[in-house]
Amino acid sequence: MYSENLFNILGLASIFIIISLAIALAIKIEKIQELRSSISKLKKSLEETDEQAKLIVRTDIELNKTQDELDKKIAGLYALQRLSRAISTTLEETQIFMNIQNAHLEDLGFEKGVAFLWNNAEKKFRLTLNRGYDEEEIHSIMHNLELSKEFYLRLIKQEMAVSSFSLQDIKHKENINRVFKVTHFIMSPILPREGTTGFLFLGTESTDTILTEGDEELVTILANQIGQALENARLFEKTWLAQQELEKKVEERTRELSELLEEIKKVSKRKTDFISAVSHELRTPLTSIKGYASILLSEKLGQIPKAVKERLDKINRHSDELAQLVNELLDISRIESGKITMKLEPQDLKDILEAVADLLSVQLKTKDIKLDVKITKETAKVNADRNQIERVFINLIGNAVKFTPAKGKISVTSHPSDDFLQIDVSDTGIGIPEDALTSVFDEFYRVDNPINQEVKGTGLGLSLIKHIIEAHKGKIWVKSKLGQGSTFSFTLPKA
Amino acid sequence: MKAGIGLSIQKNALLVGREVWDQASIKIGQDKIDFAILFTTVNLASASLLKIIKNKLAGQPLIGCSSQAVITNSGIYKHAALLVLISCEGLNMNAAFVKDIKTKGALSAGEELGGKLVQEFTGSQREFGIFFCDGLMEEGSKLILGLQERLGKSFPIIGASASDNLRFHKTYLFFNQEIFTDAAVGILLGGGLSFGLGIKHGWKPLGKPRTVTDSHGNVIERIDNKPAVSIYRDYFAKDIAGLKKELKYISTLYPIGLYLEGEEEYLLRNILSIEDNGSLVCQGDIPLGSQIRLMIGNKESCLLAARQASEEAKQNLSALKLGQPQKYSSIDIAFVFDSASRYSLLRRGAIEELKMVKNAIGEDVPIAGFYTYGEQAPLKAIGYHGEAHFHNQTISVLGLGG
Repeated sequence: MYSENLFNILGLASIFIIISLAIALAIKIEKIQELRSSISKLKKSLEETDEQAKLIVRTDIELNKTQDELDKKIAGLYALQRLSRAISTTLEETQIFMNIQNAHLEDLGFEKGVAFLWNNAEKKFRLTLNRGYDEEEIHSIMHNLELSKEFYLRLIKQEMAVSSFSLQDIKHKENINRVFKVTHFIMSPILPREGTTGFLFLGTESTDTILTEGDEELVTILANQIGQALENARLFEKTWLAQQELEKKVEERTRELSELLEEIKKVSKRKTDFISAVSHELRTPLTSIKGYASILLSEKLGQIPKAVKERLDKINRHSDELAQLVNELLDISRIESGKITMKLEPQDLKDILEAVADLLSVQLKTKDIKLDVKITKETAKVNADRNQIERVFINLIGNAVKFTPAKGKISVTSHPSDDFLQIDVSDTGIGIPEDALTSVFDEFYRVDNPINQEVKGTGLGLSLIKHIIEAHKGKIWVKSKLGQGSTFSFTLPKA
Repeated sequence: MKAGIGLSIQKNALLVGREVWDQASIKIGQDKIDFAILFTTVNLASASLLKIIKNKLAGQPLIGCSSQAVITNSGIYKHAALLVLISCEGLNMNAAFVKDIKTKGALSAGEELGGKLVQEFTGSQREFGIFFCDGLMEEGSKLILGLQERLGKSFPIIGASASDNLRFHKTYLFFNQEIFTDAAVGILLGGGLSFGLGIKHGWKPLGKPRTVTDSHGNVIERIDNKPAVSIYRDYFAKDIAGLKKELKYISTLYPIGLYLEGEEEYLLRNILSIEDNGSLVCQGDIPLGSQIRLMIGNKESCLLAARQASEEAKQNLSALKLGQPQKYSSIDIAFVFDSASRYSLLRRGAIEELKMVKNAIGEDVPIAGFYTYGEQAPLKAIGYHGEAHFHNQTISVLGLGG
């Protein structure tokens, strides 16, 4: 009984365990299925993510390539800008190429660069730039260039850049790579508007370089700029040579003129010396003539007939004129030879003009000519030799009175001009013909007009005052129009 | 510790030698120089320059290498030489070189170099090593393995591959007055010097993970049992010829990322070439069974990585101070080993990258660096006791303090 019960209990327990296990198994199976489903979902999601990654990567590489190209272009443009500046700063052919440095080429993505210009006289290429090749290498390149110069000349003639990227002919491409020891290259003709043509070659040994049309464009621009710089250099050379020629001629003419001037100076000195000597010699007998004439005229030696008196008067007058002429000549020669020094002292122009007006009052009154002096306190002070400046005014105003018809007007004004005062003496007289304006200050020159024919003069007055003004470091000039009067202007240093 | 830097952009070796020496030695003053590091661009990599500098050094070791360009505070120079002179009290060190790596094999060359470095190291505790190797050697990873055989797996070594001007023609290593190709040079340092390293690339994984199912050394034959090239064929929808044409972009912008257990960043592998049978030749080894991903990055992520690497270097150097309070936490000089691919990618933006570094480590900290064909460093730089790997496309910043 007991064992039956035990059996039953065990049986029940077993059934319970089996049922429990079955339930647990069922739950597990369900979980496994859930996990499987999760795994498959994860796998799917992973595959999907991988697919998305593919899209990302493909877009990313395109973006990177574009960015890279852009970066390269920007770097290239910077390099080109620097190169342009470097080659445009000189007008010498050798310097143009010397200014192209390794660093510039490296910025453009190349470590080797050469340039050749065609020498038409010798029928061969001339090396003008070498960056990145040693002597032996460049020698070998030049040798190869000589062997296939027709090919390179043809390339220049095509006026187009070629590169390892654009050159279709594989044989030629490989040949260039071999000759220039590069894996990638760009070659662009150098074409100045006139003169020697050539080509610029840039290359790299780097295998991971990718050249594009953009690179080709940059190198073409560079070659064009070299061409332009060479053109400028040639034009400059031409202009320079012409200028040299011109300078040489100017130098020659100047030398000739200097010699002539020396000659003139010598002649002028001889003239001055001569005048000075003659005047001295003339003055002594002239004083005697005048003296004797005066004695005779004073009738101290006895009465003289009227006719003799008239002749003696003439002798006396002509002697005075001659004495004035001699004095003026002497003054000019003294000033010219520097024998007279100007005693420069502060002077008031108003005082001087007052004295001069007083001296000329009779003449002014006779012709009823108004002398209008417009000089203010501020424009009156000069540094001058009083006696000499009085002579200047007497001469100028005297002339003005002479050539101004009755009831005319003479005005004297002054105004500052830098360190000088400019004084203008204007009249309403008959004026000076245009062709005579340049000669009025010459010695013995007299303007051809009715008054001069009538009134005698030495022709030395204006010449003398020109010498006086110049001895004051001033200038004198005249402006005039026939029938409208004249203005004589001169400058004197301010006090 | 004192560090002096001299830069010259002259063309004549004699002038360059004088100029770099004068500039660098002024900063050291009367103190004793302990060792020198020289980076030059290929045009200046010459025995005559080394001789001039060596003559000025009183027997102290000089190591260095050639590069596409050198990096310093004032900029990036494509025709220049950069000399660093270090003076540090209580410094223990030993410099060595190994030649003829091709003949010896990268692994045994690494072992030889490691052995030489350890053998004559003076002092009790070596703390880290700097080494430079030929940038054109194919098994850079094995050289590290060899070094680790002698120095220990977790011993921090920081290295960089020499480069040339992207011609991949010849890269040079400098050891005292000698100039080598197919070689590696290194220096072990310990004693009064502390260091902080940061290394980052800035690339992120994209798409689903894949498994390398057949590979030998740096060649991946098959991925997920399909020709390796299928990873690129699928993503870019281009055939082999089309992919080859765009290899320059693919290699730098979309390298393969190698997942390493426990590391924060993926290890990058640039694709050097695509074989006609669909194999991918990588710059650095890819072990069979590796989990790999396609990686994606851009200029911004590149620049950000430069900042992170610099900050990490600064933090790591400061962190050392916590453990060893007697040490200084400030960077006296920062070495920057920057990938040449990053330079190609960033172009004019490379100067921005330099600015990022300067901002992060401090404007006044002297910087000496160059562009490499590969970088060697622990991946998880913060825990520098990690294993050193051969990297591609990273910027590694090594801060030294005394």
